[in-house]
Amino acid sequence: MSDVTGPLGRVVATEKKPNTPHEFHFWTAIDSPVGIGTIVRVDGAQPIDGQIPHVYGIVVEGFSYTDLQTPMHDVLGHDGSPSAAGFAVTERAEIRLYTAAVLRQIPEEPLQPVPMGQVFLAQEEDVQVALRMDGYLREGAHTGIPVGVYRAGGTDAVIYLDADFLLGPEAAHLNITGMSGLATKTSAVEWLLASLFTHFPEEKGSIAAVAFNVKGPDLCYLDKPGRVEDTDEKLYEKMGVAPHPFTQVQYFAPYTAKGITLNTFRNNEALLDNVSPLTWGLREVLQFAEVLLNKDDVDAKADALIDFIKENVLDKEFSDPMLSKKHRVQSFADLDAWFRDVLQSMENKNGESWRTHHVATIRKVRNRLSNISTRCAGLVTDTGAVSDLPFGSFADRAVYVVDVANLEEDAQDLIFARIVSKLREHLERRDLGVKHLVVFVDELNKYAPTDGADTYVRKMLLDIAERGRYLGLVLFSAQQFRSQVHRRVVGNSGTALFGRMDADELSTPGYAVLSPATKTKLATLEKGQLMVRHPHFTQPIFVRFPRPAVMQGREGAEKYPQATDVSVHVAVLRALRPLDPSISLTWVQELTALYTDDEIIKARNATLLARPENVKAYFAAQFRKIVSAQSPVRPMAASIKSAPDDDPYGF
Amino acid sequence: MNSGPDAASRTALKLLIQQLPGASEINTSVEVDSPSAIDQPQLRSAQIVEGSAMRARKVPGVSRDITSGFGAFLDGAQKVRLVARHEGVPLVLGITSAVVRVRVNRRLTTWGHQPPKVEFKLYLPLRYLPPLADLPLGETGWPIVDTSKADANGDYPSAHPQVLLDRAIRAIDQQRELLEDQIAEAWCSRNEAPLFVDGGINRSAVVASSGCAVGVIKSHRTLYVEDDALKTVLNLGVNERSSVFRVSPRLRNSVMSWYLRQRDSHGHDPLWGLVRVEMTECDNPAERADEISRWVLAETRPLALPDGRWDKMSYGVRDCEEFLRAIS
Repeated sequence: MSDVTGPLGRVVATEKKPNTPHEFHFWTAIDSPVGIGTIVRVDGAQPIDGQIPHVYGIVVEGFSYTDLQTPMHDVLGHDGSPSAAGFAVTERAEIRLYTAAVLRQIPEEPLQPVPMGQVFLAQEEDVQVALRMDGYLREGAHTGIPVGVYRAGGTDAVIYLDADFLLGPEAAHLNITGMSGLATKTSAVEWLLASLFTHFPEEKGSIAAVAFNVKGPDLCYLDKPGRVEDTDEKLYEKMGVAPHPFTQVQYFAPYTAKGITLNTFRNNEALLDNVSPLTWGLREVLQFAEVLLNKDDVDAKADALIDFIKENVLDKEFSDPMLSKKHRVQSFADLDAWFRDVLQSMENKNGESWRTHHVATIRKVRNRLSNISTRCAGLVTDTGAVSDLPFGSFADRAVYVVDVANLEEDAQDLIFARIVSKLREHLERRDLGVKHLVVFVDELNKYAPTDGADTYVRKMLLDIAERGRYLGLVLFSAQQFRSQVHRRVVGNSGTALFGRMDADELSTPGYAVLSPATKTKLATLEKGQLMVRHPHFTQPIFVRFPRPAVMQGREGAEKYPQATDVSVHVAVLRALRPLDPSISLTWVQELTALYTDDEIIKARNATLLARPENVKAYFAAQFRKIVSAQSPVRPMAASIKSAPDDDPYGF
Repeated sequence: MNSGPDAASRTALKLLIQQLPGASEINTSVEVDSPSAIDQPQLRSAQIVEGSAMRARKVPGVSRDITSGFGAFLDGAQKVRLVARHEGVPLVLGITSAVVRVRVNRRLTTWGHQPPKVEFKLYLPLRYLPPLADLPLGETGWPIVDTSKADANGDYPSAHPQVLLDRAIRAIDQQRELLEDQIAEAWCSRNEAPLFVDGGINRSAVVASSGCAVGVIKSHRTLYVEDDALKTVLNLGVNERSSVFRVSPRLRNSVMSWYLRQRDSHGHDPLWGLVRVEMTECDNPAERADEISRWVLAETRPLALPDGRWDKMSYGVRDCEEFLRAIS
């Protein structure tokens, strides 16, 4: 191997292949450690304005050839037998010629074509200069967030992202793309969050993350330690991040349709201590009714009725001379009762409309809204009970995972739309609890596709991408095919990560700026390798990152199997025991023996929501008082005058 | 070959115009052919030292996996550039060079003990030019070689431009041979592995008497056979060599030599694929000739293409030529 501290190549230029201010060519020894993605430094020979120019470049293309004029000569030379080629006593003269894209020139003015000179492997300090990281790694103004380690030859250099360009206000958002299973997208985001939580400057304020787990169990064990190899530990040490799982993680998941267990991969009893139910009532849902209602189906008239309900019925004392009684609508059950009353009254009066709303519109809206609680069963409660994310009290360096992996698409959309809207509202009011919030969404192909319907969710993602950075709301998004995601979403991502890519995807126009060699490298990236684009880097950089120090989804699913359907008593036990370990199955069974499943579940949900100090007492207090049955006592009949003993007729 | 003036030619031209105000530039710098091309072909007899008559001998042990004992290759190069004329008198820049390329792990690299030699000289017929004020010329320090000196008989060359040009070419040729001999002697003095020399080895007594240099001659302006021996040589089959004979030029050193057919000449010129090998005198010429022939045959791969002389040229020699072309 060549001596990496000495020159490893020389700049060359010909009339046919000249150097330019943005590109140059150099050759190396055959055994040099240069490859695609290697960062090099050129030391010019002639000073410019009294300063020797230094040019930093990254290798984007490589060529090798011999002095052979045509392949036919080699065939002839070995009589057409490849095995004979091994007997040639001399190898042909061979060249390794590389093309490098200029990362930076010093001095930056005048910008000239790259001069002839010696080429050196970039050392760690060269890498900082080449990528303009020296601007944000200064003492006292350090905003660097390690994203990985650049490795070439003997050089190990930490690559930093600028927090001002990752989380705003200068630029923001991060998008990661790559093949499913091979690009390690989720791992990369887990690692980056750990790095962000460690290195985000204290003076820039607090930070938290909300992650939507949209598939599989990948994000379900962020608080459990994972396997960290020695090589990973060295990377952690190099980048100053502790190889530990996240210390503050809170999970949220709706119930299953039956309402007994949580609809999440993380419903194993051993993991329930930081899993909270996610349930919403009518008020919460109606705010985002348009997410669930088909625009083709619900016309302007229906919209008007829904608005009327939101404005005049919901959470209000509603009375109407036509109706049979006053209504206070707080749940889907109340709403259905209100609809029944309205329609019944109209039938009784044989009327076609009520308050300008036609009976057909009323029936349609009733049908659609009532349907929501069925379509989103487990999330939407008939009773109006609400269990939500802790908006207003988000903790610094905490991760909130919302598990929607097992939900229907409608429910996923509703959850996403409402949570993001609430986050945005709180950030606007500066009362979320943290100053910066990262929202991680996978499968962006599905939620913000280039083509397809202009859904509410896509509009929200566009809004975050375009305006989120001013609020501190930052989108970390991932998908398999970047080309199929809305341009404004990926275009607004200041930072982009690329794992192993599919060749078809690489052939799309979005990757035209990459050289064929860079594309080849992207198509063959190992797990744990990424290509990084960042506003400060004029060219993409390849880095390695360590395996996240959290339990991986598959391992977690094996170690903590998902709870199967259980009886309502066992479900209550599992839910409440994390709050009070003294609770036993027998206690639950005895206490709830006389109540229906719905009543038991309602009591459990209320207890979980309140998280009282005395769990047993609170849970017991949720049940209606039932007077225990008493055996009827037969009244004693008044005694009849007794007959004389000697009365032969009984009188 | 015609081409635009290179940097050295432009420098030479500048110097000459400064010194010789009447000198006129040649529009396109002219690279002149080697003088060997103008030698007359001839046949010469030689003393056979292997057997009593010249005959074809199959080189034993030839297979496709034969190995070569050569550890290095030596070649020289020369560039004759007619850069200007002064009243018709040719003003020539000669660039001569020589190098040894050593084989390490099947790859060729420049010999570290003796850097390649490159010399620039101006070949001027001073007798037919006005006196020059500054010798050597300018800051370059390039020496001037007078090509109009009297020969061994005391005769001066005529002022015929072609005669003067031939004189310059011959002088440059000799200079190249001198560089080759110097570098070959340096190699032999270190008693290194056998050296494949492109051309003869009999100019230098040191080299001719050293066992570590083998000369391989591609050009056959002089054939050291006559009559039936000539037929034998011209009819040599592939991997056949001739009997060993002794070459003893009057002004050079005596060496042993033989012809070797490297490639099947069927359908080609009779000299196609034919080389003449020179080695130092030894007691067992037949065995040694067989061994060296195997080495030479091993050096036929890889092909020296795209060089037009690839039928006779070894790849190592082509490598030397390419190297010298790059540095001179």
